[in-house]
Amino acid sequence: MILHDFEYQRVQSLSEAAALLARLGAGARVMGGGTDLLPNMRLEIVRPTTIIGLLSIDAEPPSITPKGGLRIDALSTLAAVASSDLILTKVPMLAESARVVGSNQVREMGTLAGNLCQDTRCLQLNQKHDYQFKAPCFKRGGECCYPFPSNRPGVCWSVHMSDIAPALIALNAELVTVRNAGGRRLAVEDLYSGDGMHPICLEPDEIICEVVTPPLPKNFGWGYHKSSRRGGFEYGMAVVAVALSLEASLQTCAEARIVIGAIRERPVRARQAERALIGRPINDALIASTAATAIEEAKPLQHHGFTRSYLIDNIRVYLRRVLVRALERARKHSSTA
Amino acid sequence: MAQTHIEPTVRSRIIELSVNGERHEIVVKPRNTLVEVLREKIGLTGTKEGCEQGACGVCTVLLDGRPVLGCLTLAVECDGRSVRTVEGLAQGDQLSPIQQAFLDQGAVQCGYCTAGMLMSATALLEHNPKPSVPEIKKALEGNICRCTGYNAIVAAVRQASEQGVEPVMR
Repeated sequence: MILHDFEYQRVQSLSEAAALLARLGAGARVMGGGTDLLPNMRLEIVRPTTIIGLLSIDAEPPSITPKGGLRIDALSTLAAVASSDLILTKVPMLAESARVVGSNQVREMGTLAGNLCQDTRCLQLNQKHDYQFKAPCFKRGGECCYPFPSNRPGVCWSVHMSDIAPALIALNAELVTVRNAGGRRLAVEDLYSGDGMHPICLEPDEIICEVVTPPLPKNFGWGYHKSSRRGGFEYGMAVVAVALSLEASLQTCAEARIVIGAIRERPVRARQAERALIGRPINDALIASTAATAIEEAKPLQHHGFTRSYLIDNIRVYLRRVLVRALERARKHSSTA
Repeated sequence: MAQTHIEPTVRSRIIELSVNGERHEIVVKPRNTLVEVLREKIGLTGTKEGCEQGACGVCTVLLDGRPVLGCLTLAVECDGRSVRTVEGLAQGDQLSPIQQAFLDQGAVQCGYCTAGMLMSATALLEHNPKPSVPEIKKALEGNICRCTGYNAIVAAVRQASEQGVEPVMR
């Protein structure tokens, strides 16, 4: 049961929703599938006064942009993203990342933008208040942090759990947003603030309407892995996504993007590791040292009962495997292109 | 005399819902979820409510043919749509093939997850009449069962899809 009353407004377009958001102010929230917002409302982490329902707006099917990239409606369900032939052919990493989100039911309900804009999580925050808390934590407007008691006031080390954001950041994807007046284009990377209190950098009346992935370079390869305790229907303990392209010789990397998700307040890009990988002859030692550098940068938070040392080991192993897989795909892609 | 405090109330509204082919007009508040409406206003208590967080799958129903979680679906959003629940599977006394297979394989123990399992399995079989074991596991990953250990449930889906699994409980 949701403990508080709220108003519900159905809209026919995102611009109508943005105008409503601007008029109603901070108490209003837009809702796609509701798989993140409604549990948080039950736990009273958020108490919107009005829900603006976007479900009556039909999602457009994905299409190819004039530059050869892919344009995906942000209201597409995750099930649609995971099973779209165009996405599976053009950006299989995105389809794979959508396929491992939550459960079948969650993927049928949840939307692409909703996954990107989900709130951060923490073992204590996402509990009934009287069960886990004596007093509210910083994120609930209180004056303490349960998992990290020495945190300064207002510092929240909750974790952003999106499985899709690391893949989209690795793919260098962009978002198109609408606002009451105007809208903008921003990199998926810039959607995240890194502040657990306010993880998403959108204006109060701003709504994501499209996700655009750029055309893939030559000799492109990708690798993606989500670790979780039971292998399905779970939030990740660490998500690694790699997108790279090789030089014509297929022996050195021309470009590489390495992203690690579900370990901090935002998905983390391992830029030093990327730089270390580019331009050098690829061998096992380089792959191992790249993974080691990435861990130094990622600095995983201990979250949801996983120790830091375990997460570091997990990321080291899976990042290495994912890099190897990405290289295999890049070489295979070049031989079939 | 004590003053009466009137809480500001949220407008209720009437929604039209087709449940198992039967049309219902129901007065709901925006905060009412689909599973609450099915159980408490329509009286179809076959669909269970479990975690209320989308983490167990017992409230799975088919909304316009797609498996969704009744606890995370607002009833107001279902206006004009069609819902199928576990009560809609059998035709009179004739169980649906998947219901019969659950009995035949001993795939029901305490039974709390069963309604959700049946609806997820029904959705799977309608889209994929001969699913492989990995496909069955992926389709049922959102339904948690603490009794059976899942093997009997997977076998039941294979029996219902006529993949050479014989009944064990007859």
